[in-house]
Amino acid sequence: MVANTSGECGMVPHADQHQARVLAQRVLAHGTYAVRIDARELSTNILPGQFFMIRPATGTDPLLGRPFALYDTIVDDHGDVTAFEFAYHVIGKMTGLMSHWEPGEQVELWGPLGNGFPVYTGKHLLCVGGGIGYTPFLAVARETLGLRKYGNKPSRYENFQPAKVTLAYGVQSKRHRADLSDFESMGTMPLLISTDDGSEGRAGFVTETVRELLDSSHEDRPDGVYCCGPEPMMYTVARLCRDARVPCWLSLETPMACGFGACFSCVTRVKTDDGWDYRRTCIEGPIFPADSLAYDGV
Amino acid sequence: MPQLASFDLSSRFSTLATTTAKLEVQLGRLRLRNPILVASGTFGYAREMAAFVDFAKIGGIIPKTITPVGRIGNPPPRTVETASGMLNSIGLDNDGLDTFITKHIPYLTSLAAPAFANIAGRTIEEYAEMARRLDEFPQLAGLELNISCPNVTGGVDFGTNPESAEKVVRSVREACSLPVVAKLTPNVTDITAVAKAAAAGGADAVSLVNTFQGMAINWRKRKPVLGNVLGGLSGPAIKPLALRCVYQVAKAVDIPIIGIGGISTIDDVMEFLVAGASAVQIGTANFYNPGVSARLVDELAAILAAEDCSDIHEIIGSIHRPPATGC
Repeated sequence: MVANTSGECGMVPHADQHQARVLAQRVLAHGTYAVRIDARELSTNILPGQFFMIRPATGTDPLLGRPFALYDTIVDDHGDVTAFEFAYHVIGKMTGLMSHWEPGEQVELWGPLGNGFPVYTGKHLLCVGGGIGYTPFLAVARETLGLRKYGNKPSRYENFQPAKVTLAYGVQSKRHRADLSDFESMGTMPLLISTDDGSEGRAGFVTETVRELLDSSHEDRPDGVYCCGPEPMMYTVARLCRDARVPCWLSLETPMACGFGACFSCVTRVKTDDGWDYRRTCIEGPIFPADSLAYDGV
Repeated sequence: MPQLASFDLSSRFSTLATTTAKLEVQLGRLRLRNPILVASGTFGYAREMAAFVDFAKIGGIIPKTITPVGRIGNPPPRTVETASGMLNSIGLDNDGLDTFITKHIPYLTSLAAPAFANIAGRTIEEYAEMARRLDEFPQLAGLELNISCPNVTGGVDFGTNPESAEKVVRSVREACSLPVVAKLTPNVTDITAVAKAAAAGGADAVSLVNTFQGMAINWRKRKPVLGNVLGGLSGPAIKPLALRCVYQVAKAVDIPIIGIGGISTIDDVMEFLVAGASAVQIGTANFYNPGVSARLVDELAAILAAEDCSDIHEIIGSIHRPPATGC
């Protein structure tokens, strides 16, 4: 299977700080928006699952940047990457402010940060997204299906073979469900929706969908899982994958102040030879092989 | 106390020729090409900042605090944003002195900026022993003593008691020949008493302030937000408090002061210099504007030129002098 492709610990060699403009903003779901940013250099460097930090270009409240993952790159008619989009859900001071951003708004951003998802080298990748956690998987799916390349290193795609991708998406209710037309437009990708209240798709948690897919004896059973969402969901998925002997990667979200390893805030427990140690999610992750993490029950 | 050589790093790390004003500053035995340093705990071990900062511009680098043996640090959440500021309770998460020596010193001392070590111990003997080990690295610019961390048991004790502050500074001075800076906590009734004690102990300079102890509460959960309950407040919110401390200490001691606390703009830098700081450290701003330190060096040169000022010493401490002509 694939190796985790994180760089040397404590380094963000390809990151840079930029001022950029908001180009557009659109609704993806209830309280969830996609913002388009005019930042060509960052757009051409960033990989699926990597993130960047963003804040208003002026002012001190809110103060710190906030981390957001790539939703997708924007490609012009000549095939050149010109901008990118990220998705956010309104939960606090910064995201409340962001929901009022108009085209032309000046923002400060730095990235790309973190390791990103590895290029998938299996046959059938299952992406599991809970709530807003589904958003990093648009770029993952485009890449895995062979529809788009990311970053400016051709070496990322040595020996690349397109693979099947399935999205299992769990959300509170039909009212909160995201518009998945960006995924539907790819055509070949199964989308399995579950809602907690049964108002659309399968009733119950998305983890039940994962359990069923992994239990299947079909030759088309997923042979790898990428997961992003609330921690209890991710750790349940990690346990299901461990029991099914299917490799699993989690995209962690831990409170961050800087995003590039300077502040030592965003630590998570990573297994070591003699137990565990706190490691910085921003530079050693945010994508971790699930079996490298020390969490309850593993 | 042994007779000690002066550390003139201004020629080894000369100021880029972008200015006509003299930016060099003297911090005790230590001479630096300009007064813009970066604060411990906000710059990692400098590797983390390499993508954002031209090290050849800044006056000095103070890496994250190291302790004699590694510390796992405090449980998360370790930081939370507050109004124009942030609380942190990292808890001196670090890999210890041995790893610092083998992994970080070779990198730090290869950079185009003077690099310090910032140390913390639980006892005076631990500070002295770390200083002895680090004395083997004369390529370091100096030692900053963290006697002011609010987030570890006992960490702040040396900085709240003038007598122990003097003792710990003296023991480090006797153990090593590197310039010594004592970093002070503002969480005291009278910061000038601790500054005087550090001066009496032989500190080349004092740096102030470390964070103000604070707290954030999630009232719906009836719980503290931080894993370690209490944390240290930093960022623009504390600037007036820090500026007050620098102003008071400048009146009280003759040794140079490095001002720290919410500095993010060139006006902030100028205010601290006028209040009596010979240099400043950029802290929390590195988190939300990672390239800010090097840009402030350019802006400092520009503002001095605009003020028709030929030497930064005309600015330093000028609030304490009778009005004069010029800048």
